[in-house]
Amino acid sequence: MSHQDRPSTKLDRRTFLKLMGASGATAAFVSAVSPLPLGTASAAPPAGPDGVRTGTARDMLKAESPEKLQTMYERMVAARQWEDTLKDLFVGGQDDLYGAFHLYIGEEAVAVGACAALRDDDYIASTHRGHGHLIAKGGNLDEMSAEIYFRETGSNKGFGGSMHITDVSLGIMGTNGILSPQCYLIAGAAYSIKVRGTDQVAVAFIGEGGTNSMYWWSGLRNAVNHELPAVFVVENNLYHISTPSVTTIPGGHPSQLIQGLPISSVIVDGNDVAEVYAATKEAVDKARGGGGPSVIECLTYRWYDHYGFAGAKVGEDGAWGLPYRPDSELQAWIDRDPIPRFRTFLMEEEFFTEADLDTMDAEVQAAVDASIEFARNSPPCNPEDGVLYVYSEGRVPATQFLA
Amino acid sequence: MAKKPYRYAVLEAIANEMRANPDMCYFYEYQSPVAVGPTGEILNLAREFGPWRTSGDRGGWALDEAWYVGCATGVAMTGVPVVCELPSMTTTMPLEFVYNQTANMSMMTGGQVSVPVVMWMDGAGRGGGSAQQHSQVGQEALYANIPGLKIVIPSNAYDAAGLMTAAIRDPDPVQFWAYSEVQAGEQPDVPDEPYEVPIGPAVVRQEGTDLTLVSFAPATVDVGKALPDIEAEGISVEYIDPRTLKPLDVDTIAKSVEKTGKMLVVEHGYWTNGFSANIVAEVAQVVDGAILRRITFPDAAGPASGDMIAWMRPDAPKILEAVKKMAAM
Repeated sequence: MSHQDRPSTKLDRRTFLKLMGASGATAAFVSAVSPLPLGTASAAPPAGPDGVRTGTARDMLKAESPEKLQTMYERMVAARQWEDTLKDLFVGGQDDLYGAFHLYIGEEAVAVGACAALRDDDYIASTHRGHGHLIAKGGNLDEMSAEIYFRETGSNKGFGGSMHITDVSLGIMGTNGILSPQCYLIAGAAYSIKVRGTDQVAVAFIGEGGTNSMYWWSGLRNAVNHELPAVFVVENNLYHISTPSVTTIPGGHPSQLIQGLPISSVIVDGNDVAEVYAATKEAVDKARGGGGPSVIECLTYRWYDHYGFAGAKVGEDGAWGLPYRPDSELQAWIDRDPIPRFRTFLMEEEFFTEADLDTMDAEVQAAVDASIEFARNSPPCNPEDGVLYVYSEGRVPATQFLA
Repeated sequence: MAKKPYRYAVLEAIANEMRANPDMCYFYEYQSPVAVGPTGEILNLAREFGPWRTSGDRGGWALDEAWYVGCATGVAMTGVPVVCELPSMTTTMPLEFVYNQTANMSMMTGGQVSVPVVMWMDGAGRGGGSAQQHSQVGQEALYANIPGLKIVIPSNAYDAAGLMTAAIRDPDPVQFWAYSEVQAGEQPDVPDEPYEVPIGPAVVRQEGTDLTLVSFAPATVDVGKALPDIEAEGISVEYIDPRTLKPLDVDTIAKSVEKTGKMLVVEHGYWTNGFSANIVAEVAQVVDGAILRRITFPDAAGPASGDMIAWMRPDAPKILEAVKKMAAM
């Protein structure tokens, strides 16, 4: 095969624009992904909307208990419905809601698939788009809703809001609005694991934009250097805010860019919860056994804008008409919604019937609705508490007043 | 109890805490974890506590210092106290991480977690030959602006060992500024058993009535040289070393200025926003009618020429002149 026949892993600008024009960024990515050397997880390109897969990932998920699969399904649905319900409230102008809200809708398979491979005592750290990871790790919907409503009963007592919403008791090293300091925090947790001699692992979730940061590069180098029990999950949703990732990442894929580092690196369909689960389980088992860190790049897509609700409507899925992406692309990814694909798997493998799953959906929605009521009925924050928690104890002086 | 070298006293304090906390870590780069005590005893923290709790399995933490403090922050968030020592020309590398992460974590989480990390910042000296990047002093002022940090700046071995112990035991992030110039020369006696110098309270080194002189390491070395000459001029100076910059012991300083009516702050950091500016502002807020002045290094990074940098340094003769001028006001 001459070098001209060999598929290129580099997407030059003209080819990219041609593909963008012809069939949207999704096609461009599929073309880019397919010829690349892939790792231990399934090497097939993203599957079609029917979600039917064969191979090791599906088998690994099938081996789990019905209880675990139910929890996974319910958490994916909770992540979807909690955000969707709040989105309608925000867009509908209800309850005087305000503040940051970065929707994760569309990406649920990454958080739930990855966290399903973890123990309760494993650590994670997450991003500004962190609601899904908190739910996937067992977060409490009442506390989460109360945080969005800035109530005293919120998970962060109203101090963190959507971007820093977290529950440290679940092993979450916070959610971060700065790009990828999670890499250092998780490496630190992993280092602590080695010092204390436990077999815990630590998992960082980072956007692909975060891999453009010094924190990614230095964190990876040191994780490799110290053989830390860490996993770096890159959620590649193809855009940093409104910039296509191919324009800032040479080759477009962080998992490929780091080849040369002695670290396992795979790329998977981030909308297939089995793929994400299988890749994470392999990485976690390797780390737990002393085999060092891994990178898992998950291709996925957010249905809404980077931040807030431009293009979104009450009762309608997706943010349409955004200036930086074609509506056809959004539709293509909605057609690959991870939740129906998981339903199909659960029904085909005869874990649950459609009626079972519909019942779960209804129960989750009821829990979501109850959490909103809990938030509405909770006492709001005391304004004078704004000077608390700067340090572990005490308040700092209220210098906004002249003494 | 004995006169101990500054670095030995600090490493001894760290070793004591590491013996009491089986997971606690001390990260260092090329600085040595080895020190020799007053009667020849050798402290070697790397050998005593093993590679994982000190230098990592590769022997000495490689760059960069943002990673270093970031990793330490992660370790501390899991409940393991950490001291990480940064070389003097690298103390600004972790500024972003400290600003948005280390110092912020308690408040972002609504108090769910604290960060028991001590950032031991080696400080440079205003000496000739090192030039602009290796003779910078006063970076504590940059960090003092950040909510959530505590900052201590001991000027002798006794305060250093006691403040290091207090810093390690503090659940919040503490910066420990250890300037090279205060480590030379004779040091006071340092106890052998662990002890704390509490974070916060200033110390009145010398009582007086005519003027309040405030200085923090490393300018304390020059103040120390100037004090006998000031006394010979018949001026009675009350000399206060804050030891902690954040939280600042404004009460002690203000009480003194109420008595003397005049304050001179001397520092080796830069003029604009050097921490001395904050001390003046704090006292001005609560004491009416006092004369408040400060002398600092100019707003210019130190040149390589020893003659230039000596001229720019607020040294003992310049301190004496300033005190005489103020005494006449």
